[in-house]
Amino acid sequence: MNIHKIAYSFFIAFVASLITLVSVSALSSSDRDEIDDDGLDPITLAELAEHDSAESCWKAIDGRVYDITDYVPNHPTEESVILEWCGREATEGWDNKRPGVPHSPRAEGMLEDYLIGRLVDQTVEPVAAETSSTDEKAGDDADIAETRLSPAEDQRLHQALMGLPLDGRYRGVFSDSDEMQVNVQFDLRDGRLSNIRYRHLAYRGVDYFLLGEGDDLYPVMVQHQQLIDGLEGQPLTSIFALYEPERLAEDIDGYSGATLPGNKVHSAFRDAINRGVYSWP
Amino acid sequence: MRRLIRSGDIALIVLLLLPLAVALPWLGWPRGPPELWLTWVGRVTGILGLAMMLLAAVVSCRVPGFDRPFGGLTRLWKLHHWLGFWAFILVMFHALALGLASVPTSLNAAVATLFPPVSHGSIWLGWLAWVALVVFLAPTFDFFGKPHYQRWKRLHLVSAAALLLGLWHALLLAGEAWPWWLLGIAGLSAIAWRKGAAPRRQHAYRIETVEPLARGVVELVLRPEGGGIHYETGQFVYLSPLDESLPAGRGEEHPYTISSAPSDDRLRIGIKDLGDASHALQTVTPETRVLVEGPYGEFFERHFPERDMLWLGGGIGITPFVGGARDLATGAEAEGHVHLFYLAHDSERAYYREELEGIAEAHEVFTFTLHFYRDHGPLSEAFLREHCPDFTEREIYLCGPPAMNAHLQWLLSEQGVPASRIHSEVFDFL
Repeated sequence: MNIHKIAYSFFIAFVASLITLVSVSALSSSDRDEIDDDGLDPITLAELAEHDSAESCWKAIDGRVYDITDYVPNHPTEESVILEWCGREATEGWDNKRPGVPHSPRAEGMLEDYLIGRLVDQTVEPVAAETSSTDEKAGDDADIAETRLSPAEDQRLHQALMGLPLDGRYRGVFSDSDEMQVNVQFDLRDGRLSNIRYRHLAYRGVDYFLLGEGDDLYPVMVQHQQLIDGLEGQPLTSIFALYEPERLAEDIDGYSGATLPGNKVHSAFRDAINRGVYSWP
Repeated sequence: MRRLIRSGDIALIVLLLLPLAVALPWLGWPRGPPELWLTWVGRVTGILGLAMMLLAAVVSCRVPGFDRPFGGLTRLWKLHHWLGFWAFILVMFHALALGLASVPTSLNAAVATLFPPVSHGSIWLGWLAWVALVVFLAPTFDFFGKPHYQRWKRLHLVSAAALLLGLWHALLLAGEAWPWWLLGIAGLSAIAWRKGAAPRRQHAYRIETVEPLARGVVELVLRPEGGGIHYETGQFVYLSPLDESLPAGRGEEHPYTISSAPSDDRLRIGIKDLGDASHALQTVTPETRVLVEGPYGEFFERHFPERDMLWLGGGIGITPFVGGARDLATGAEAEGHVHLFYLAHDSERAYYREELEGIAEAHEVFTFTLHFYRDHGPLSEAFLREHCPDFTEREIYLCGPPAMNAHLQWLLSEQGVPASRIHSEVFDFL
């Protein structure tokens, strides 16, 4: 066999291998890379920024967030090169392995193994560039996507299984001697309190909401208001501060915070949690 | 002789391994799972493949004298051919290995590695280089039949595009660029010299006479117009006739062996009708001009200067020996005794016979024996031993048609003559 025949055989074998590889790839339905961004956990820039070291290294690349902590020791360069981009938007570093040289498609394939979520800004809007196409899709598929959440992705299920209160609107009551004294309503979002207000506030037949500024008990009503204002935006666990109401309310006209019945309000909050979600958000 | 390592070979090996040596600290040694091995192999074959492509260009420069450290131009052409062949094989290995290395990630990643989005321009430059490679190597390796020599030669210029694209591909991806600049500039300069500067540096000669030696064989006697070339016996030149009345081969260069002695003020070239161009030269018009480039080769290189010589020439392959005999006739100092066997078909085809016999009569260091195929068949060991009893002890020089060459190589190795003592030059692919 002379070298002309060897060269020809190699040429044919090479072309045949390429055709085989391309056709096998085209024929096998691999939708691994087609993960719908909407199915990914939203991750904010603030959360991203917490993972900025070799102990936990997250990177945002093209709108997706990757936890590459496990890969860091395997990266071919010095660790500092890859750690430099931890905890932040790292698309620029990804596209410039060396100036102007992007990472290889193979590296892209490997990166997807470390996908943990999608990057959102503070107003919970996706940062991803391809908004027009995904928005359309999201509109059509939103309901279906809700019902199709897998047990691995359904956060509401996770919270319920762990006995954690679900997001939603709550109402709770404190009653004593057949008199409803406190009725409180609030919303829970990501474990935080919001839109807190009293639906009813009374003591020994006096409806606090009917009090005028000159009334003796008016300052007590203001202090009650201060209690819930102080809890607004705080984690649910901050209701335990109501055991020491002076932490939340000021001394007004001799009615010190220490004398306030903050435990009644606390009890109403606990009642609300025990009752469960009043209405879904 | 063919197995000896020459000084040029060592320089070539050093240059070939240079880019790999520089890249190795980046590549490390292969370790871990098979895909990492494949990646390593893919990169190494790519580096070696491109280095071979560039060196194949470097050795194609055909600067007179450059071929000597490589053992002559014919050997250099073989090296060129060999480098081109391996470059072609290795770059295909390179692409396939890197593609397959991504299969464990996913099939899509493997395909995307080989055919990425257009934004990964460096990969596509590699593919364009490969396409250029196929375009100019397909006729070289006879993929679709053998094209006309001149068309093949023009097509071979696509190699410059392949080199540029391959180089660009590597410069974008390489960690350390300077070895590629070095080899790239060397390779492209070689092509530029060959196609640009070399044609203007040819030597002009005028055809003084066209002496017919036999049917289909002439000897051109050339008179230099300027300084002419300086050469040794047995070397060859590329000759381009400029006679406008030539029916073929005008301005085309072809290699011919010099049959004159270096001290001769005329350049003599024996030409046999073997193709269109050499056929046309049989009737070339005297006093027209030819351009000569050379000299090349080192046919009479001595590895064992203490030994006597045995020359075996057949057909038009007698010409280097005619040059050698004429050199002896002019009183050149011979290193030992020379015995020339002229293997001709019959006495009609034994051109130069009288001149060689005359030299043998006048000079003791030169013995001349005729062997006619028509009377004796192929040259036998018995015939050789009868006329030259110590033939196995001599340093042996062969020149003739490929079949004769093969027969003599076989005959001599049967007699225990080591390959290092046999010199031969075959022009069949020049």
